[in-house]
Amino acid sequence: METLIHDVRYGLRMLRKSPAFTAVAIAALALGIASTTAIFSVVDVVLLHPLPYPDSGRIVLISQTVRSTGQDMGDSSPANYLDWAEQNHVFSHIAASRGMQGNLTGGERPERIRYTVASGDFFSLFGVGPQLGRSLLPDDEKPGNDHVTVLSYALWKRLGADPSLVGRNIALNGEPYTAIGVMPASFAPDDYGELWVPSPWDVPAHPLNPQADPRALRDSSYIDVWGRLKPGVTLDQARAEMAAIARRLEKQYPNANDDVGISLVSMQDSLVSDIRPVLWVLLGAVGCVLLIGCANVANLLLARATTRTREISIRTALGASWLRLARQMLTESILLALCGGLLGILLAWWAVPALLTMSPPEISNFKHIGLNPEVLGFSLAISLLSGILFGLAPAFHASQSNLDESLKEGERGSTGGRGRTRSALVVTEVGLSLVLLIGAGLMLKSFVRLMNVDPGFDPNHLLVFSVGLPPSASSAQQDAFYREVVERLQALPGVQSVGAVSRLPLVGGNSSRSFNLPGSTKSYTADLRVSTPGYFRTMGIPLRAGRNLTEQDAQASAQVAVVNEALARNVFPGEDAVGKYIVNFGPLNNKIQIVGIVGNVRHIGLETTPRPEVYLPFGQAHWPSVFVAVRCNTSHPLALTSAVQNVVWSVDKDVPLANLRTMQGVIASSVMRRRFTTLLLAIFSALALLLAAVGLYGVMSYTVSQRTREVGIRMALGARRSDVMKLVVGQGMALVGVGLGLGLLASIALRRVMSGLLFGVSATDPLVFSAFAVLMAIVALLANCLPARRAARVDPMVALRYE
Amino acid sequence: MIQLKNLERSYKTPAGQTWVLRRINLEIREGEFITIMGPSGAGKSSLLNVLALLDDSWQGEYWFREQAVHEMKRKQRSEVAKRNIGMVFQSYHLLDDLTVGENIDLPLSYKDVPRSERQAMVADTLDRFQIVAKKALFPSQLSGGQQQLVGVARAVIHKPALLLADEPTGNLHSSQAKEIMELFHELNQQGTTIVQVTHSEANAAYGSRTIQLRDGWMLSDTSNPELRPYEAVRQ
Repeated sequence: METLIHDVRYGLRMLRKSPAFTAVAIAALALGIASTTAIFSVVDVVLLHPLPYPDSGRIVLISQTVRSTGQDMGDSSPANYLDWAEQNHVFSHIAASRGMQGNLTGGERPERIRYTVASGDFFSLFGVGPQLGRSLLPDDEKPGNDHVTVLSYALWKRLGADPSLVGRNIALNGEPYTAIGVMPASFAPDDYGELWVPSPWDVPAHPLNPQADPRALRDSSYIDVWGRLKPGVTLDQARAEMAAIARRLEKQYPNANDDVGISLVSMQDSLVSDIRPVLWVLLGAVGCVLLIGCANVANLLLARATTRTREISIRTALGASWLRLARQMLTESILLALCGGLLGILLAWWAVPALLTMSPPEISNFKHIGLNPEVLGFSLAISLLSGILFGLAPAFHASQSNLDESLKEGERGSTGGRGRTRSALVVTEVGLSLVLLIGAGLMLKSFVRLMNVDPGFDPNHLLVFSVGLPPSASSAQQDAFYREVVERLQALPGVQSVGAVSRLPLVGGNSSRSFNLPGSTKSYTADLRVSTPGYFRTMGIPLRAGRNLTEQDAQASAQVAVVNEALARNVFPGEDAVGKYIVNFGPLNNKIQIVGIVGNVRHIGLETTPRPEVYLPFGQAHWPSVFVAVRCNTSHPLALTSAVQNVVWSVDKDVPLANLRTMQGVIASSVMRRRFTTLLLAIFSALALLLAAVGLYGVMSYTVSQRTREVGIRMALGARRSDVMKLVVGQGMALVGVGLGLGLLASIALRRVMSGLLFGVSATDPLVFSAFAVLMAIVALLANCLPARRAARVDPMVALRYE
Repeated sequence: MIQLKNLERSYKTPAGQTWVLRRINLEIREGEFITIMGPSGAGKSSLLNVLALLDDSWQGEYWFREQAVHEMKRKQRSEVAKRNIGMVFQSYHLLDDLTVGENIDLPLSYKDVPRSERQAMVADTLDRFQIVAKKALFPSQLSGGQQQLVGVARAVIHKPALLLADEPTGNLHSSQAKEIMELFHELNQQGTTIVQVTHSEANAAYGSRTIQLRDGWMLSDTSNPELRPYEAVRQ
């Protein structure tokens, strides 16, 4: 113990003795540890921590699939859900839910909220009790008892956080609901849970027909189904039984359940499957940054160990064993690492909130991301591990010193010294940095490609928001309301045109329907949109053939539709689709005549190929809520916010606006995950480049100082300054060359990891590979040139005096 | 060959200006073998560095074969040195990571001599110094005498008119020292002008002229009995 205290004291003295060395080493480590800690704090909660529900690994999401293709349909039909609930033996609980949007009134201003209609077993399935009051019980589903609601913690806070709110009525969609409980903040199984209401039929009603009993609906999929596996039942066993049930139901209901399978995905997987590869790549990237930081410190320590050869020789001469010397070295390096770790944790403490503000919802939805004890333990562990890792090289160096040689070297200096370890460390730094740079470069190119994708509409000068009447409103009332809102907005100064649509591109959500051609049983699928005639003009979606929807279509008896180019090409290849008919499209049984063809729109995401779409006119089709798009004359559409709100409230004071933003903002949100990954990879690769440049500079400076005498001799023998520059730069760039080669090979080897994150760019894009290799080489050249210039300025007289 | 007129060299130190060479007036003729002697700190090595054109920070006049070196820029001085001067050091100053052959080749590589020509010159030199067998060895594999032999070979490979040697036998056994001095004598006989710094009277005996330095002043010159003792000058 006494020896340890002595080692620590001596180590601290050595660190104080070289403040510049200590500062550079601690800074390099702190940057590596801060990045690793910050990303790990996200990985820990999102990927490694179980969800905040008891035994959450047993909760699964169940949904219908197209069995032949394996494509997950995301939703399920109520009738199938009820059959699954009755026939399965693998779930202890099974529940259905449906996310909805509704209007909360009664406060100062109406508020558009996202709520969930849930079946009776929903809360017991998750196993989380309420923070206040009670949650929904099966009895609440009985007609007459169903006007009760459980509030989320966030909504309860927004409503004043008054415990006496439980038991009082709130107005949802114009109807009174009794608040019976408040859930804890951590309870958020999906995006919709601002409050939960029961369904009077044990299964959520169809959103387009909320008053009708949905229990017999088998060909309409719109509910989320959750299950909790019984103890002892594995996911595979559950999958096998549900597959058998699916086949049974297919035989029983061949029309509705043709080719319908069932998929079971664990809840954790369903929440994080998209973000998981991103987080692993980022964790790998920060791991590289940390390794580069460690290599830097190891290099600095090695350089210092060489200058301490005499001290080590004297210690050895006085009887110090190899183990004792190594321990002394390791104590110093671990001290350094702990200082770096401490500073790194402080940096991470500042960085994590910044990271969360730019993170996509898949991450920011996890509310408890931060520096918890596990993350701090991780940081401490990597600090210690780094200390040991970069302390091993100098410790090994100390053990290898030859007493006789060391004393001689100390006397007359050296003109050689191969420094293989240092060279290997520099090669590693350059290689790892290039891997990160190429990764960031690929993401950047990918992002630029994505942002250059034509979305199929003009997103400039567009203000969008969603609005809807309560489900109790009739279709006629809804249509009249939308028409009125559109007309009044149209009259606003500064507004060019206004359109409304059931589903806006890139905001999430979709509605798919199947249809046939007259006289054929062949089934096609298209995405359903219900729109006003002004929608296409407002969005800047071009009309390719035929005509637009008109106001007269709403009243006309003949049903009409406008389709997109993708549908026209897929369903009527080589023919003119205008004038053709489709039948059995969703809830409409009449023949629908195609009157026009519009351009394709990237609805799901900029990277997703446009799918066939059918636009029906309001009046002939209905939708409970709409997105309104307002094309403005101003380049700052948000300036019209209050005017737009006033217009909507002038039509109905109880109808709130939601998601009011610009269309550019919608696009930005839709690419948030890519931007997050690209930005972080760019930051980490820049950090790696900086650290590698500093490392290279350090090694070359050290080499130059070690070769002063050699340079002096060469100059005394006639070497010009340029010869010396070439010598030093050549030596450095040879190492860089090896590092670049290895970095390129590693990047090629990692192409599979990257390819899933890219869009429109090959994971071995030659332009990115060569551009970033050149960038790395230029930075390395600069890092080499400074020591080389110093070497070239060596005064041969002074250098020769080294003897 | 060389004329130094009123040449002086000093260093600025916190304590003031320290003079290492004072009013040096010296003429070196072609073919001479001059020995510079004096106690430590007399300025012997400083004078050698000035002659070798390694040092630029002196005042006075330096003429090399009628060329005014004192009016030349650094680059021109380097060219003069590269073409005409060879140096031998007390510690040999061979590069540890280069073989004997590569060490000898070094001055030629800096003179942009074509590779084939260099190879021939290196082969000739190895032959002349009878170290052909050592060509591929590294300096650490040679004895001190052998290393200095390589040092001399490297210094003369480009056939310099002037060979400067700073205590060339300081680290050698007396028998090895004799060998090196015989070699210098032979080179001098072949026409090379030599200036050596030494403490050894035996080595000095190989030269044709001896200059004594003390405290930066030229105390005596065997070719110039009229030279006034430095004490008198100082007074």
